[in-house]
Amino acid sequence: MPFDPTLFTIASIACWVAGMALFIFQKKHLLVKVLSHGLFLAGVIILSVLAALLWQELGRAPMRTLGETRLWYALFLPLIGYATYTRWKYDWIIYYSGVMAIVFLGVNLAYPDNYDRALMPALQSVWFVPHVIVYIFAYAILAVSALAALKGLWINYYRKGRDWSPQLADNLVYIGLGFLTLGLLFGALWGKEAWGHYWTWDPKETWAFLTWIGYLAYIHFRHHKPRQVVPAMWVLAFAFIILLICWFGVNYLPSAANSVHTYSN
Amino acid sequence: MKQENKKPVWTSPWGYAEGWLIVLGLLATGLALQITTGGLNRAALSWPVNLYIGSSFTAIIAAGWLITRNYRKSPVQWLASIPAAITSIVMVTFLVLIMGFTLQDDAQNPVWVQTLGLSNMTASWPFLFGMTYFLIALGMATMKRLIPFKGRNIGFFLNHFGLYIIILGGMLGSADLQRYTMELYEGEIVWTATDHHGHGIEMPLALELVSFNMEEYNPKVVVIDPHTGRIIPESIPQMFEIEAGNRGTILGYDVEIEQFYMLSGKMEDRYEPVNHFGAAPAALVRAIANDGTEIEGWISTGSFMMPHSLLDLNHVYEYSLAMTIPQASHYSSDVILYTQAGVVKEVRIEVNHPVSAEGWKLYQYSYDDRFGRWSPTSVIEAIRDPWLPVVYTGIFMVLAGSVYLMTLGKAPETVNGEMP
Ligand code: HEM
Repeated sequence: MPFDPTLFTIASIACWVAGMALFIFQKKHLLVKVLSHGLFLAGVIILSVLAALLWQELGRAPMRTLGETRLWYALFLPLIGYATYTRWKYDWIIYYSGVMAIVFLGVNLAYPDNYDRALMPALQSVWFVPHVIVYIFAYAILAVSALAALKGLWINYYRKGRDWSPQLADNLVYIGLGFLTLGLLFGALWGKEAWGHYWTWDPKETWAFLTWIGYLAYIHFRHHKPRQVVPAMWVLAFAFIILLICWFGVNYLPSAANSVHTYSN
Repeated sequence: MKQENKKPVWTSPWGYAEGWLIVLGLLATGLALQITTGGLNRAALSWPVNLYIGSSFTAIIAAGWLITRNYRKSPVQWLASIPAAITSIVMVTFLVLIMGFTLQDDAQNPVWVQTLGLSNMTASWPFLFGMTYFLIALGMATMKRLIPFKGRNIGFFLNHFGLYIIILGGMLGSADLQRYTMELYEGEIVWTATDHHGHGIEMPLALELVSFNMEEYNPKVVVIDPHTGRIIPESIPQMFEIEAGNRGTILGYDVEIEQFYMLSGKMEDRYEPVNHFGAAPAALVRAIANDGTEIEGWISTGSFMMPHSLLDLNHVYEYSLAMTIPQASHYSSDVILYTQAGVVKEVRIEVNHPVSAEGWKLYQYSYDDRFGRWSPTSVIEAIRDPWLPVVYTGIFMVLAGSVYLMTLGKAPETVNGEMP
């Protein structure tokens, strides 16, 4: 029987909950601070070990099913959150990324994956791992940028004053769009080897293109009208909705009847 | 925005208003052409027409930029501005969004959708116009930062010119893209390929199938309802991989795999390992029910030569142990490749590992699934895309450009040494 990830999952969640709770009081005492940061990172490490063990156990990259991709999200979000926090000191990002990661793991606990070794021949490629990792990383960063957009909108509508969230959003979008572009192009190079053409306007590709071009519109608008924050933040929020459709929704669209990319379970 | 609204439309300098009107004009014209003349015919662009179009298009953009360089407020210069970029991006997004919601297959859509070209978007006039506007804006933006050349614009150049090359090369190249299939039978030398309409084409190479190979993952053991063939329970299928010694619980039965052969044949009431045409996987399993009763017997998926075997669990044919059909792990074809120059060599064509020969790439495409791993035929797809090096040049430029993009973030200014 494949091994059970439940214990690791619960341990990670516990680390994050404790880490975030202590984080509230981190400024009070150095020990509290060290403990809170240590616990938060320990959650990430435990989950990395789980990913590595699963990889070994399955004999393939655990990136095929939705449940498996949720695992990588739960791994990357706190990591990106922590990195963003250390770089720019936004406290809220620790709570956000921690809570999101817990939600992803919670879904995995509620719907345990039917782990299955089988990886269809077309997925057995050197491109599979870089393509998926880069994409998940991009999605995780862009998810944070969407939140920055919402914060920016909220501040602009309800509170006046200096607002740094657009600049945080820009920084995140530059990185996220960079990774998104890598993922898109890795996908194209892979497609050429696996299916014979680098771009076929398959529904998943079509939505990946829409996601990409949405963020492109955002950075160009920001470059042109840096002061018009509200429309820019709306564009960013909308781009994230397209991203979500691309990620989850494509399977349900009528246009996807012939897609080669729908997730199997 | 407010200031722009005060300026009458179509007076220089242009802004967003003119951009949106251009988009509307292009959509209306495109739609009119689509309805009156029908969709586009890619083949009209075949070599060398695409080369002429691509190079004159690029030359016109470059010349247009250079000639109007000293007239910063002219509409031509406006094409290199962000309002042109954004309106063209939105036009393309709009059309691709429609494509994202419409199944791209004429036959499966109502007539009005076909007439508007929505079910074959990439061959429609509005799409061509949108892409052209987009490419002009992109080309002009490239020129703007290229001349005079500055080192710090390299990242910009990689992204913008790289994307220009990808899209222009991809669109023009699609006219020269050839995709054919070659149906091979063991021991037969095949020089012809077939296109999607079934027309035969003479190839500059020939293939002879030595063997089609399919490897499979081990099957799984499940409980099914023998009357319907459905897995029980349907909501959360319980199953585990079959391998001698594996043990698990399914529907309260303790199930153990005692013997397993990936390839076997039926001998009276048991299975023996064999390796001939039509062999199938089989396993000897033992199931122990809650009350301690023990049932032992063979299960097999069967094949086109052998019936499948189930193990009845409760003597009333309600629940039976069954073996799932194994999933493929590898497909490949061993073929002998002949060229007109007289070269003969044996190669393996595998999924994800195409073979290049005589300017063609050969892909494992299909096989006769009625026979599974014993298929006597294999279908190879032969693809020639002479514009691929052009598109790949663009792809590698944008790959480098996206790394540059990641470095653009700025740290926020601090207020009194405090982070915001
Ligand atoms: C790979 C896709 C693209 C990326 C990564 C990208 C990135 C950028 C960035 C970062 C800037 C800000 C200027 C700078 O920092 O150097 C910019 C400016 C600009 N981009 Fe793009 N862009 C892309 C595609 C496009 C497209 C498709 C268009 C037009 C349809 C376009 C038109 C422009 C224009 C007009 C500017 C302003 C240039 C200026 O005023 O000097 N870009 N782009």
